[in-house]
Amino acid sequence: MIRGGGRRLAALGGLAVGVALVALLLALGLTTDTKLAASPLSGHPAPAFDLPGLDGAEQSRIRLEDLRGQVVVVNFWASWCTECRVEQPELNATWQRFRDAGVVVLGVDFQDAPGDARQFVATSGASYPMVVDADSSTALDFGLRGVPETFVIDRDGRIVERFVGPVTAATLGDRLEPLLDGGRP
Amino acid sequence: MSAARLAGGRLGLVLAVLALLTAAGALVWGATADRAPTDQERATAIASGLRCPVCTDLSAADSSAPLARQMRTEIRQQVAAGVSDEEIRRGFVEAYGPSVLLTPPADGLGRVAHLLPVLVLAAAAVGGAAVLVSGRRAVRGGGPGTAEPDHRSSTDRTLVDRALADLLKEEP
Repeated sequence: MIRGGGRRLAALGGLAVGVALVALLLALGLTTDTKLAASPLSGHPAPAFDLPGLDGAEQSRIRLEDLRGQVVVVNFWASWCTECRVEQPELNATWQRFRDAGVVVLGVDFQDAPGDARQFVATSGASYPMVVDADSSTALDFGLRGVPETFVIDRDGRIVERFVGPVTAATLGDRLEPLLDGGRP
Repeated sequence: MSAARLAGGRLGLVLAVLALLTAAGALVWGATADRAPTDQERATAIASGLRCPVCTDLSAADSSAPLARQMRTEIRQQVAAGVSDEEIRRGFVEAYGPSVLLTPPADGLGRVAHLLPVLVLAAAAVGGAAVLVSGRRAVRGGGPGTAEPDHRSSTDRTLVDRALADLLKEEP
Protein backbone atom coordinates (compact mmCIF):
# COMPACT_ATOMS: atom_id res chain seq x y z
CA MET A 1 0.00 0.00 0.00
CA ILE A 2 2.71 2.46 0.99
CA ARG A 3 4.73 1.65 -2.15
CA GLY A 4 1.65 2.13 -4.30
CA GLY A 5 0.94 5.47 -2.65
CA GLY A 6 4.53 6.59 -3.24
CA ARG A 7 4.29 5.66 -6.89
CA ARG A 8 1.06 7.55 -7.27
CA LEU A 9 2.66 10.56 -5.57
CA ALA A 10 5.64 10.37 -7.94
CA ALA A 11 3.32 10.16 -10.96
CA LEU A 12 1.30 13.13 -9.72
CA GLY A 13 4.50 15.06 -9.06
CA GLY A 14 5.76 14.33 -12.57
CA LEU A 15 2.46 15.42 -14.02
CA ALA A 16 2.52 18.62 -11.97
CA VAL A 17 6.06 19.41 -13.13
CA GLY A 18 5.04 18.79 -16.75
CA VAL A 19 1.95 20.97 -16.50
CA ALA A 20 3.95 23.72 -14.77
CA LEU A 21 6.60 23.58 -17.53
CA VAL A 22 4.02 23.84 -20.30
CA ALA A 23 2.25 26.69 -18.46
CA LEU A 24 5.57 28.51 -18.06
CA LEU A 25 6.45 28.19 -21.74
CA LEU A 26 2.94 29.26 -22.72
CA ALA A 27 3.11 32.32 -20.47
CA LEU A 28 6.54 33.19 -21.85
CA GLY A 29 5.32 32.84 -25.43
CA LEU A 30 2.16 34.85 -24.85
CA THR A 31 3.80 37.72 -23.00
CA THR A 32 6.77 38.20 -25.33
CA ASP A 33 5.53 40.75 -27.84
CA THR A 34 7.81 40.38 -30.83
CA LYS A 35 6.37 43.59 -32.25
CA LEU A 36 7.69 45.73 -29.40
CA ALA A 37 11.14 44.21 -29.22
CA ALA A 38 13.94 46.75 -29.39
CA SER A 39 15.27 47.23 -32.89
CA PRO A 40 18.26 44.97 -33.51
CA LEU A 41 19.54 47.85 -35.63
CA SER A 42 20.05 50.12 -32.60
CA GLY A 43 23.66 51.18 -32.49
CA HIS A 44 24.21 49.96 -36.05
CA PRO A 45 24.60 52.05 -39.19
CA ALA A 46 21.23 52.98 -40.66
CA PRO A 47 20.44 51.13 -43.91
CA ALA A 48 21.22 53.35 -46.91
CA PHE A 49 18.33 54.59 -49.04
CA ASP A 50 17.78 56.79 -52.04
CA LEU A 51 14.07 57.60 -52.36
CA PRO A 52 12.04 59.85 -54.67
CA GLY A 53 10.15 62.79 -53.22
CA LEU A 54 6.40 62.56 -52.69
CA ASP A 55 5.83 65.47 -55.09
CA GLY A 56 7.64 63.57 -57.83
CA ALA A 57 10.12 66.38 -58.50
CA GLU A 58 13.69 65.21 -59.16
CA GLN A 59 15.16 67.72 -56.68
CA SER A 60 12.99 66.21 -53.93
CA ARG A 61 14.85 62.89 -54.12
CA ILE A 62 16.74 62.21 -50.88
CA ARG A 63 19.75 60.03 -50.25
CA LEU A 64 20.35 59.25 -46.58
CA GLU A 65 24.08 59.34 -47.23
CA ASP A 66 23.82 63.03 -48.24
CA LEU A 67 22.48 63.85 -44.77
CA ARG A 68 25.57 62.52 -42.97
CA GLY A 69 26.71 65.01 -40.32
CA GLN A 70 23.14 65.89 -39.44
CA VAL A 71 20.80 64.17 -37.01
CA VAL A 72 18.00 62.55 -39.02
CA VAL A 73 14.53 61.67 -37.76
CA VAL A 74 13.06 59.11 -40.16
CA ASN A 75 9.30 58.75 -39.72
CA PHE A 76 7.46 55.99 -41.59
CA TRP A 77 3.83 56.93 -42.14
CA ALA A 78 0.81 56.39 -44.38
CA SER A 79 -2.30 58.41 -45.14
CA TRP A 80 -4.54 55.48 -44.09
CA CYS A 81 -2.94 55.37 -40.63
CA THR A 82 -4.92 57.25 -37.99
CA GLU A 83 -2.11 57.39 -35.46
CA CYS A 84 0.10 59.00 -38.11
CA ARG A 85 -2.47 61.76 -38.41
CA VAL A 86 -2.38 62.19 -34.63
CA GLU A 87 1.40 62.43 -34.39
CA GLN A 88 1.83 64.66 -37.47
CA PRO A 89 1.69 68.02 -35.59
CA GLU A 90 4.30 66.69 -33.12
CA LEU A 91 6.73 65.97 -35.95
CA ASN A 92 6.01 69.36 -37.46
CA ALA A 93 6.78 71.01 -34.11
CA THR A 94 10.02 69.01 -33.82
CA TRP A 95 11.07 70.10 -37.30
CA GLN A 96 10.29 73.77 -36.53
CA ARG A 97 12.21 73.61 -33.27
CA PHE A 98 15.31 71.76 -34.43
CA ARG A 99 15.69 72.49 -38.15
CA ASP A 100 18.28 75.21 -37.51
CA ALA A 101 20.19 73.04 -35.03
CA GLY A 102 21.22 70.40 -37.54
CA VAL A 103 18.20 68.08 -37.45
CA VAL A 104 16.37 66.81 -40.52
CA VAL A 105 12.89 65.38 -40.08
CA LEU A 106 12.08 63.09 -42.97
CA GLY A 107 8.73 61.49 -43.70
CA VAL A 108 8.76 58.16 -45.56
CA ASP A 109 5.41 57.28 -47.11
CA PHE A 110 4.72 53.56 -46.71
CA GLN A 111 2.30 51.43 -48.75
CA ASP A 112 0.10 54.28 -49.83
CA ALA A 113 -1.77 55.66 -52.81
CA PRO A 114 0.24 58.68 -54.07
CA GLY A 115 -2.86 60.85 -54.37
CA ASP A 116 -4.01 60.11 -50.82
CA ALA A 117 -0.50 60.73 -49.50
CA ARG A 118 -0.22 64.13 -51.20
CA GLN A 119 -3.62 65.12 -49.90
CA PHE A 120 -2.59 64.07 -46.38
CA VAL A 121 0.46 66.33 -46.57
CA ALA A 122 -1.58 69.22 -47.98
CA THR A 123 -4.29 69.03 -45.32
CA SER A 124 -2.02 68.32 -42.37
CA GLY A 125 0.39 71.12 -43.24
CA ALA A 126 3.50 68.98 -42.90
CA SER A 127 6.43 71.21 -43.81
CA TYR A 128 9.35 68.76 -43.62
CA PRO A 129 10.57 66.74 -46.63
CA MET A 130 8.62 63.66 -47.69
CA VAL A 131 9.81 60.70 -49.74
CA VAL A 132 8.06 57.56 -51.01
CA ASP A 133 9.13 53.97 -50.33
CA ALA A 134 7.01 52.58 -53.16
CA ASP A 135 8.25 48.97 -53.04
CA SER A 136 8.68 48.88 -49.22
CA SER A 137 12.31 47.84 -49.62
CA THR A 138 13.51 50.60 -47.26
CA ALA A 139 10.86 49.54 -44.76
CA LEU A 140 12.21 45.99 -44.86
CA ASP A 141 15.78 47.23 -44.43
CA PHE A 142 14.69 49.16 -41.33
CA GLY A 143 12.83 46.16 -39.93
CA LEU A 144 9.51 47.99 -40.04
CA ARG A 145 6.54 46.22 -38.48
CA GLY A 146 3.90 48.87 -39.06
CA VAL A 147 3.24 52.60 -39.08
CA PRO A 148 3.94 54.93 -37.49
CA GLU A 149 7.51 54.06 -36.61
CA THR A 150 10.22 56.64 -36.04
CA PHE A 151 13.97 56.16 -36.12
CA VAL A 152 16.55 58.63 -34.83
CA ILE A 153 19.87 58.55 -36.68
CA ASP A 154 22.88 60.33 -35.20
CA ARG A 155 25.45 62.46 -37.03
CA ASP A 156 27.57 59.38 -37.76
CA GLY A 157 24.67 57.65 -39.48
CA ARG A 158 23.90 55.24 -36.64
CA ILE A 159 20.39 54.34 -35.49
CA VAL A 160 20.22 55.43 -31.85
CA GLU A 161 16.49 55.17 -31.17
CA ARG A 162 13.37 53.58 -32.49
CA PHE A 163 9.85 54.60 -31.52
CA VAL A 164 7.01 52.20 -32.30
CA GLY A 165 3.70 54.06 -32.46
CA PRO A 166 3.06 57.81 -32.35
CA VAL A 167 5.77 60.06 -30.90
CA THR A 168 5.38 63.38 -29.11
CA ALA A 169 7.49 66.48 -29.67
CA ALA A 170 8.56 66.30 -26.01
CA THR A 171 9.84 62.71 -26.17
CA LEU A 172 11.55 63.31 -29.45
CA GLY A 173 13.09 66.56 -28.19
CA ASP A 174 14.50 64.81 -25.10
CA ARG A 175 16.15 62.25 -27.34
CA LEU A 176 17.50 64.80 -29.84
CA GLU A 177 19.05 67.32 -27.44
CA PRO A 178 21.91 65.12 -26.16
CA LEU A 179 22.79 64.22 -29.74
CA LEU A 180 23.24 67.89 -30.58
CA ASP A 181 24.95 69.19 -27.44
CA GLY A 182 28.04 67.04 -27.59
CA GLY A 183 28.13 67.04 -31.36
CA ARG A 184 30.31 68.84 -33.82
CA PRO A 185 29.29 72.35 -34.88
CA MET B 1 -16.69 -19.03 -54.81
CA SER B 2 -14.81 -20.41 -51.86
CA ALA B 3 -13.73 -18.34 -48.90
CA ALA B 4 -10.10 -19.31 -49.54
CA ARG B 5 -10.23 -17.91 -53.09
CA LEU B 6 -11.80 -14.72 -51.82
CA ALA B 7 -9.04 -14.31 -49.20
CA GLY B 8 -6.42 -15.03 -51.87
CA GLY B 9 -7.89 -12.31 -54.12
CA ARG B 10 -7.79 -9.80 -51.31
CA LEU B 11 -4.17 -10.66 -50.54
CA GLY B 12 -3.29 -10.13 -54.20
CA LEU B 13 -4.98 -6.73 -54.15
CA VAL B 14 -3.05 -5.68 -51.04
CA LEU B 15 0.21 -6.81 -52.62
CA ALA B 16 -0.58 -4.93 -55.85
CA VAL B 17 -1.33 -1.71 -53.92
CA LEU B 18 1.89 -2.12 -51.93
CA ALA B 19 3.91 -2.61 -55.11
CA LEU B 20 2.32 0.48 -56.69
CA LEU B 21 3.03 2.61 -53.61
CA THR B 22 6.64 1.42 -53.49
CA ALA B 23 7.11 2.22 -57.17
CA ALA B 24 5.58 5.68 -56.74
CA GLY B 25 7.76 6.38 -53.72
CA ALA B 26 10.87 5.26 -55.56
CA LEU B 27 9.97 7.50 -58.52
CA VAL B 28 9.51 10.55 -56.28
CA TRP B 29 12.73 9.79 -54.43
CA GLY B 30 14.63 9.22 -57.65
CA ALA B 31 13.29 12.41 -59.20
CA THR B 32 14.22 14.65 -56.27
CA ALA B 33 17.21 13.03 -54.59
CA ASP B 34 19.97 13.95 -56.99
CA ARG B 35 18.54 17.22 -58.20
CA ALA B 36 19.52 20.59 -56.79
CA PRO B 37 16.46 22.72 -55.91
CA THR B 38 15.55 25.37 -58.46
CA ASP B 39 15.91 29.05 -57.55
CA GLN B 40 12.15 29.30 -57.14
CA GLU B 41 12.11 26.31 -54.76
CA ARG B 42 14.96 27.80 -52.75
CA ALA B 43 13.24 31.19 -52.54
CA THR B 44 9.96 29.59 -51.45
CA ALA B 45 11.75 27.49 -48.83
CA ILE B 46 13.48 30.56 -47.38
CA ALA B 47 10.27 32.61 -47.38
CA SER B 48 8.43 29.75 -45.64
CA GLY B 49 10.89 29.95 -42.76
CA LEU B 50 10.53 33.70 -42.26
CA ARG B 51 7.76 35.43 -40.36
CA CYS B 52 5.71 38.06 -42.20
CA PRO B 53 6.51 41.14 -40.04
CA VAL B 54 3.06 42.71 -40.26
CA CYS B 55 1.09 39.48 -39.71
CA THR B 56 0.41 37.25 -36.72
CA ASP B 57 2.22 33.93 -37.10
CA LEU B 58 2.10 33.76 -40.87
CA SER B 59 5.13 33.07 -43.01
CA ALA B 60 6.35 35.44 -45.67
CA ALA B 61 5.54 32.72 -48.20
CA ASP B 62 1.90 32.43 -47.12
CA SER B 63 0.98 36.07 -46.56
CA SER B 64 -0.52 38.34 -49.19
CA ALA B 65 0.52 41.49 -47.28
CA PRO B 66 2.49 43.90 -49.50
CA LEU B 67 5.46 43.75 -47.12
CA ALA B 68 5.54 39.94 -47.36
CA ARG B 69 5.31 40.23 -51.14
CA GLN B 70 8.33 42.54 -51.11
CA MET B 71 10.16 40.05 -48.86
CA ARG B 72 9.56 37.34 -51.46
CA THR B 73 10.79 39.64 -54.23
CA GLU B 74 13.98 40.45 -52.32
CA ILE B 75 14.59 36.78 -51.52
CA ARG B 76 14.15 35.87 -55.20
CA GLN B 77 16.55 38.64 -56.23
CA GLN B 78 19.18 37.56 -53.72
CA VAL B 79 18.84 33.89 -54.68
CA ALA B 80 19.33 34.87 -58.32
CA ALA B 81 22.36 36.94 -57.32
CA GLY B 82 23.94 33.86 -55.78
CA VAL B 83 23.59 34.79 -52.10
CA SER B 84 23.50 31.73 -49.82
CA ASP B 85 20.31 30.76 -47.94
CA GLU B 86 22.02 31.40 -44.62
CA GLU B 87 23.14 34.88 -45.65
CA ILE B 88 19.67 35.81 -46.91
CA ARG B 89 18.15 34.75 -43.59
CA ARG B 90 20.86 36.63 -41.69
CA GLY B 91 19.94 39.82 -43.57
CA PHE B 92 16.36 39.65 -42.29
CA VAL B 93 17.50 38.74 -38.77
CA GLU B 94 19.73 41.83 -38.74
CA ALA B 95 16.75 44.08 -39.46
CA TYR B 96 14.03 42.26 -37.52
CA GLY B 97 15.84 40.23 -34.87
CA PRO B 98 15.75 36.44 -34.41
CA SER B 99 11.96 36.50 -33.96
CA VAL B 100 11.65 36.78 -37.75
CA LEU B 101 12.71 33.13 -37.97
CA LEU B 102 9.73 30.79 -37.70
CA THR B 103 11.98 27.94 -36.53
CA PRO B 104 13.73 29.03 -33.36
CA PRO B 105 17.54 28.84 -33.54
CA ALA B 106 19.03 25.81 -31.77
CA ASP B 107 20.82 27.87 -29.13
CA GLY B 108 19.82 29.89 -26.08
CA LEU B 109 16.15 29.65 -25.10
CA GLY B 110 15.35 28.33 -28.58
CA ARG B 111 17.05 25.06 -27.64
CA VAL B 112 14.14 24.29 -25.28
CA ALA B 113 11.82 24.03 -28.28
CA HIS B 114 14.18 21.54 -29.93
CA LEU B 115 14.87 19.41 -26.82
CA LEU B 116 11.46 19.34 -25.14
CA PRO B 117 9.72 16.95 -27.59
CA VAL B 118 12.66 14.53 -27.37
CA LEU B 119 12.63 14.67 -23.56
CA VAL B 120 8.86 14.15 -23.40
CA LEU B 121 9.10 11.16 -25.77
CA ALA B 122 11.94 9.64 -23.75
CA ALA B 123 10.06 10.14 -20.48
CA ALA B 124 6.93 8.56 -21.99
CA ALA B 125 8.95 5.56 -23.24
CA VAL B 126 10.60 5.04 -19.84
CA GLY B 127 7.25 5.45 -18.04
CA GLY B 128 5.50 3.04 -20.41
CA ALA B 129 8.23 0.45 -20.04
CA ALA B 130 8.09 0.76 -16.24
CA VAL B 131 4.33 0.20 -16.22
CA LEU B 132 4.64 -2.85 -18.51
CA VAL B 133 7.44 -4.41 -16.44
CA SER B 134 5.67 -3.86 -13.12
CA GLY B 135 2.44 -5.28 -14.57
CA ARG B 136 4.18 -8.43 -15.76
CA ARG B 137 5.94 -8.81 -12.41
CA ALA B 138 2.62 -8.43 -10.60
CA VAL B 139 1.03 -11.20 -12.71
CA ARG B 140 3.97 -13.50 -12.17
CA GLY B 141 4.22 -12.78 -8.43
CA GLY B 142 0.52 -13.26 -7.78
CA GLY B 143 -0.29 -9.64 -7.21
CA PRO B 144 -3.47 -7.93 -8.34
CA GLY B 145 -5.05 -9.68 -11.27
CA THR B 146 -4.80 -13.23 -9.88
CA ALA B 147 -7.82 -14.87 -8.34
CA GLU B 148 -6.42 -15.52 -4.93
CA PRO B 149 -9.11 -15.43 -2.27
CA ASP B 150 -8.70 -12.90 0.49
CA HIS B 151 -10.95 -11.90 3.34
CA ARG B 152 -12.77 -9.41 1.18
CA SER B 153 -13.75 -11.93 -1.44
CA SER B 154 -14.88 -14.35 1.25
CA THR B 155 -17.22 -11.71 2.70
CA ASP B 156 -18.46 -11.05 -0.81
CA ARG B 157 -19.11 -14.72 -1.27
CA THR B 158 -21.07 -14.89 1.96
CA LEU B 159 -23.17 -11.96 0.83
CA VAL B 160 -23.83 -13.54 -2.55
CA ASP B 161 -24.73 -16.85 -0.98
CA ARG B 162 -27.15 -15.14 1.36
CA ALA B 163 -28.75 -13.17 -1.47
CA LEU B 164 -29.13 -16.33 -3.54
CA ALA B 165 -30.72 -18.13 -0.65
CA ASP B 166 -33.18 -15.24 -0.23
CA LEU B 167 -34.05 -15.39 -3.90
CA LEU B 168 -34.64 -19.12 -3.82
CA LYS B 169 -36.81 -18.71 -0.76
CA GLU B 170 -39.06 -16.19 -2.54
CA GLU B 171 -39.75 -18.53 -5.41
CA PRO B 172 -42.89 -20.59 -5.00
